[in-house]
Amino acid sequence: MTFLLPGQPVPVRTPTTIGPGVYLKHGQLRASLAGTLADDPNQTPAIHRQRPHPPAPNSLILGTVTRLSPLHAVVAISVVDGIPLPAGEEFMGMIRTQDIRATERDKVKTTDCFRGGDVVKGLVISLGDARSYYITTARNDLGVIFATSEAGATMEPVSWQEMRCPITGRIEKRKCAKPENL
Amino acid sequence: MAQNPFDRRRINGPEESFLPVFEPGQERPTTWNARCGRQSTDIRQIFLQPGLISQANGSAYIETEKTKLACAVYGPRQSKSTTYSEKGKLNIEVKFAPFSCTRRRYPLHDAEDRSLAVAIHQSIASSVRLELFPKSTIDVFITIIENDGIEGCVASGAIAASTALADAGIEMFGLVTSCSAAVRGDDIRLDPTEEETNTSDGVVVVACMPALSSITNVWQSGRITAEVTLRCMEMCQDRCIDIHSVIAHSLSSMNKAP
Repeated sequence: MTFLLPGQPVPVRTPTTIGPGVYLKHGQLRASLAGTLADDPNQTPAIHRQRPHPPAPNSLILGTVTRLSPLHAVVAISVVDGIPLPAGEEFMGMIRTQDIRATERDKVKTTDCFRGGDVVKGLVISLGDARSYYITTARNDLGVIFATSEAGATMEPVSWQEMRCPITGRIEKRKCAKPENL
Repeated sequence: MAQNPFDRRRINGPEESFLPVFEPGQERPTTWNARCGRQSTDIRQIFLQPGLISQANGSAYIETEKTKLACAVYGPRQSKSTTYSEKGKLNIEVKFAPFSCTRRRYPLHDAEDRSLAVAIHQSIASSVRLELFPKSTIDVFITIIENDGIEGCVASGAIAASTALADAGIEMFGLVTSCSAAVRGDDIRLDPTEEETNTSDGVVVVACMPALSSITNVWQSGRITAEVTLRCMEMCQDRCIDIHSVIAHSLSSMNKAP
């Protein structure tokens, strides 16, 4: 392992692909982060650094639903790619109705899929507009992963469209994510 | 805060006032006083410590004798602006502590912190890979705890900001180091103190990335010939290489510690 500083040349013979934390300028591969580089010459040169980063297309996010409208749900993104963001520094995301589910997109009602306060797992599809990132939940493993019922209890999913309150037994509509261990 | 003390119906005096000076000003000495303990090409010793502010993503504290400042980096966080931008924004704010200067500083923004922030922004901006942070802002807050010459603050501020950015793990093309020089006649002094800059003909501040051997910022004020300016820049660049090894040492020892 070699410790490198930003701007320091990376000792690699012939780079074919470039990983994060390094850059190529005037034919010279250099580090752009302070950190250690794996010595394996067959690997793509990269310096990995665990730090909160802004969402990018294809990053998996967790967020809380803050606002609902007939056209979209607004989400405050608090975890990006498994790394939590510092408190109070959430990024704003938006799930448009056509991105909620994969089938029957035209019949979707946002209020039948999300409620305020739900924790949602989603995938960033684009950088979106100035205000928010566009997020999709149109996949089996994406959707609501945590929600409380009107009675205040944590609900459990019974199908991909419904959740049940353990206290009252009432069923509420959500676009549920498929639990990971099933 | 209390009510606005400004009342338009009264004749308002200035906020602070000083006794007029009746004596004729002192004769400007023709030469600088001898420096104690260092040559004219020597810079003051630097103490640099990254990671002192725990709640910031990255931070650095720098001390060169009587210039002391702390720098904190937050972000990348979501940009508050309403326009979409493909590149990230680097936001630098400089604040003077009320006790940082010989005369008390009011804890409000004035023109000086902004010009300092602009100079430091110019030194740092081209080193940060802002294209990797679309729609985001990186906030850099610099607090000047003790001030010994504005030029020294610009140079130390750029060094601290660059170290703090590296500590925060923000992608950069290279580390930025900076050094100042004061000129008086044919005499050039590197890393001048406030007293030396006040009695000089002119001042040069150079910021560069020694790893890429490129200059990011040159700031020259006062009356200096082009020839002397170029000589100052060369001397500053030589010192910047020394400062680069100081940053390298502090960052690598920081990395080994945990």
